[in-house]
Amino acid sequence: MDELLEILEEINPYIDYSTEKNLIDGKCLDSLSILTLITNICDAFDIEIGPKWMRNENFNSVEAMWEMIQTIQEEE
Amino acid sequence: MSITSLTFFLFAAVTLVVYYCLPKKWQWYVLLAASLVFYCAGGAKSVIYVLITATVIYFATLGMQRISDAQREYLKQNKAVLSREEKSAYKARQKKKRKAMMLAALLVNLAILCTFKYFHFALAQINHLIRAVGAREIQDTVNLIVPLGISFYTFQSIGYLLDVYWEFYKPERNYGKVLLFVSFFPQITQGPISNFEQLSAELFTEHTFTYRNYAWGFQRMLWGFAKKMIVANILSVYVGRIFEGFQDHSGITALFGMFCYSVQIYADFSGYMDIMCGYCEMLGIRLTENFDRPYFSKSVAEYWRRWHISLGTWFKKYVYYPIGMSGWSRRLAKQCGKKLGKYFADTIPATIALVVVWFATGLWHGASWSYILWGGVNGFFIILTLWLEPVYSKVKTALRIRESSRLWAAFQTIRTFLLVTFIKVLPEVGTLSDGLRLWKHVFVNHELRFDFRWIVAFPGSEMGVSYLFFLLAAAGTAAMFVASLLQRKKPVRAYFNELPAAVRIPLVCGLLFVVLTLGTLATFKSGNGGFLYAQF
Repeated sequence: MDELLEILEEINPYIDYSTEKNLIDGKCLDSLSILTLITNICDAFDIEIGPKWMRNENFNSVEAMWEMIQTIQEEE
Repeated sequence: MSITSLTFFLFAAVTLVVYYCLPKKWQWYVLLAASLVFYCAGGAKSVIYVLITATVIYFATLGMQRISDAQREYLKQNKAVLSREEKSAYKARQKKKRKAMMLAALLVNLAILCTFKYFHFALAQINHLIRAVGAREIQDTVNLIVPLGISFYTFQSIGYLLDVYWEFYKPERNYGKVLLFVSFFPQITQGPISNFEQLSAELFTEHTFTYRNYAWGFQRMLWGFAKKMIVANILSVYVGRIFEGFQDHSGITALFGMFCYSVQIYADFSGYMDIMCGYCEMLGIRLTENFDRPYFSKSVAEYWRRWHISLGTWFKKYVYYPIGMSGWSRRLAKQCGKKLGKYFADTIPATIALVVVWFATGLWHGASWSYILWGGVNGFFIILTLWLEPVYSKVKTALRIRESSRLWAAFQTIRTFLLVTFIKVLPEVGTLSDGLRLWKHVFVNHELRFDFRWIVAFPGSEMGVSYLFFLLAAAGTAAMFVASLLQRKKPVRAYFNELPAAVRIPLVCGLLFVVLTLGTLATFKSGNGGFLYAQF
């Protein structure tokens, strides 16, 4: 989880990721940030995030992202 | 069936009455029947292509679901006996089957779309090459009539196909419901391009008639008719005259014509959306919004998030993200990162995706080099903004520009409006070279004469629009501007319906009178019942 937080902080340090639960729906992250985030997550956790994971609810909070990463790791 | 015709008015009224009179469980059947009647009225033969699309999508999505269900069942039954490797190998085989099914359905739909939209263009390009080598050209004797709304319903169907492939939701098992999703008449000709999950929740829910929905829907329809019949139709004649012979006008007149075109296309397209969203509101159905005050955008990228929103969302979901997230674009970004630095490397996947998106967006709008260049110019500005972001930040800091400053916001808005106005006209004047000559004409032809009619071509018989009509269009434009300003906080109808009935009713009756009399006259004189976006 800490590694994920580091990635997010690097993309946009002005967001309080511990409380923000609406990162995508609330337009806190734009499409470029999302692509950068995905690239960094894939590299850091050695996973492939396919289009099927591109649902707002998977990226709206750190917890949701962490859950998605774990699910992908289990599937792979 | 023209939306601004009496026939459509009667058709819509009968559909509405039958929709609410029959038992609620039959409501979606009424919409399906109405959609097929509407489509057949525009050319009965074309309905076959809608049926092909719906049928192919229906069987492909069900087929993919069957494979997923079989996989789940097989893995459940053999959980204890299969090793991890065997499970992975089985999953990979099933995935391949699903992918083959999805690709087959995708190709059928794209083949139909490309044949109708791009056959003549592709043949013309081949003939260019043939001419260059001195061989005999291929005669283009094929007469293809493009099915109504093919670009819209094909994209909507492909979206549904991919959503099921990515297992966002399960496919619909009722063929009639899939057919209604593909052919729903308020959106088939000009969108919005809806998502199945969202639209099906609206279409297949039972709706009760409420006065609130009826009144709000009617008000929105009336506003849409006013935009189309008064502003767009009057300006279409004026703009048409300027664009036809822009060489004979001053540069200022050409620029004024370009501004008028920006207003015209907004009134035309958003007017259609207001009519159809209003009508659907009367049916109790909420359509996806396609506009969010686009001319108040502060950048070209933001403009495209607020203009034709459903098309932008479609490209983002089905083209931009899949390309940007793909392994090869990420690997390329990594390699570039070593040489070009982190910021630039981070923009590589987005840049590649944007190039593809804007090339495809240009082609989607029309099969011509003008549209391809139009897409290219839009993409160029968006990518340039992305690349130069660190430079902008430094310049803004050096010049002490505050992001929250109103003056800076006004500058950004005006700059974006000018940019999109120039880009918009490129494919509208004629050929690509005509569009480029119009751009040049705005900057070079500033011969000053002591004649106001030369500086700005005023309305009159030469311009095909009388002063009265032009003033009416100007008043409509001002009303649209005020409505956009009010919309910043809440919908205009929320303000409107807070007014006392003694004010509200005369205003609605007054607008209805103006639309029915002057609007009808303007539509008749302009000979323009059609909508600009229907051609796409």
